[in-house]
Amino acid sequence: MVTFSQHLAAWRRVIFALFLRELQSKFNDKLGLGWAFFEPFVFIFGLSYARSFISGSEVHSMPILIFMIVGMLSIQSFMTSLGSVSGSIKKNKPLYAFRQVQPIASLITALLLEFAIKLGALFLLCVTVYLLQIEYKMDNPLLLIAMYLMLWAFCGAISLLFGIATAYVPEINKVKNIFMRPMFFISCTFFSLQDIPEKYWHYLNWNPMVHFIELSRYALYTSYGHKGVSIEYAAGTTIGLLFFGLALYHLTWKKVLSR
Amino acid sequence: MIEIKNLTKSYPSKLGPQYIFKNLNFSFPTERNVAILGKNGAGKSTLFRLLAKSEYPDRGQVITNRSMSWPVALQTGIHPHMTGRENTRFIGRINNVKSLGKYEQQVQTFAELNKKFDLPVRTYSSGMRAKLVFACCMNIDFDIYLIDEATSVGDPLFRKKAKESLKEKSLTSGVIMVSHELDQIREYCHSAVLINNGKLTYFKDLEEGIAAYTNPESKGKGK
Repeated sequence: MVTFSQHLAAWRRVIFALFLRELQSKFNDKLGLGWAFFEPFVFIFGLSYARSFISGSEVHSMPILIFMIVGMLSIQSFMTSLGSVSGSIKKNKPLYAFRQVQPIASLITALLLEFAIKLGALFLLCVTVYLLQIEYKMDNPLLLIAMYLMLWAFCGAISLLFGIATAYVPEINKVKNIFMRPMFFISCTFFSLQDIPEKYWHYLNWNPMVHFIELSRYALYTSYGHKGVSIEYAAGTTIGLLFFGLALYHLTWKKVLSR
Repeated sequence: MIEIKNLTKSYPSKLGPQYIFKNLNFSFPTERNVAILGKNGAGKSTLFRLLAKSEYPDRGQVITNRSMSWPVALQTGIHPHMTGRENTRFIGRINNVKSLGKYEQQVQTFAELNKKFDLPVRTYSSGMRAKLVFACCMNIDFDIYLIDEATSVGDPLFRKKAKESLKEKSLTSGVIMVSHELDQIREYCHSAVLINNGKLTYFKDLEEGIAAYTNPESKGKGK
């Protein structure tokens, strides 16, 4: 009889092995792992910095650089991860010959890897903000951490759904990019929900990303406010999608193996 | 002993589900190394993958109390951009070997790769890859080794070595093999399972199986 802790240990072992494999195969060029952290950092910081030059210094009592960094980091975490995490189910297909390796293990591995990369980029961003002596405030660090972790859970759930769907209908992968591109512009990355007249909010705030980003900003600067967004909605959609994704996975994973 | 209970397996296609096996009930002993014979597309590889639990049937079960290796084919689990050593360690980790260092060393000596063990696998010849994969598998203790034809492309010396190590292990473990090369099958196996039109027949004697496989007209009755 296999006990629960043995099960857990087996899963841990498989995910660890996959994780190392991913690192070894992905970053074995001369630039190495450092590039993985550096690239998103440069992209996020560059765009944020450029934007802070173009327009005024403050957005709703928040320095525009910090405002942009929060938005860019969140949306980049979501968008770049979505592709590689949902693709991981298909990419690791040859490995499912080992019965220990199941599709969700490769999904979790990819998610962890992306998470680690983005944490590295976040660390570089923090160092830069500190070194440039840019003023910042952090009023509610707990909420900020909670929002960022929830963002990753949300990303994992969406990736799982896409991953399973593409196993059945490969065309979804092509369509996905078209649908995901606008996310960049409708997720309040470059602007605040407060800039939009209230009667148009319902066009934007169905999108959980808006809630994640606006609440993260609110966590940094309480004075920024949280009108129009709620943690309940963000958590609700995340849990709902996660449940739906896991249920679908539970039903289909054996079929996904032979696709 | 492997028991197949009420097994149905199909693959989706444009022409509707293609059934490989339908309500299959069968069991065969594994004490004597078994060859799986059958025409192209008869379902040899499918059966193979079902036995290894790399895939699962639509309905029904494969029941056995023996530990199976993964289906050892040319490319399974090998990443071309990783070195032989890294690949070996990955396979060791997945299969939970006790000491990775020892396992690594055993594989290196068995596969006879010497220094090339630390070069990316994409620089290997196909024979070297086959050796690596085979060595990775043989150095983990399984009850049954599932070996695909591609793994036996090594040179004669290596094949001799492989055969010897399999013989050594035959006290505790068996082999199930898929191949079209009858010579290779004769080298490794003593009994056969013939797949024909989704039906399985077990032949206690390999030659009987091969005879039934090569001249289907004068097909002998399975025992």
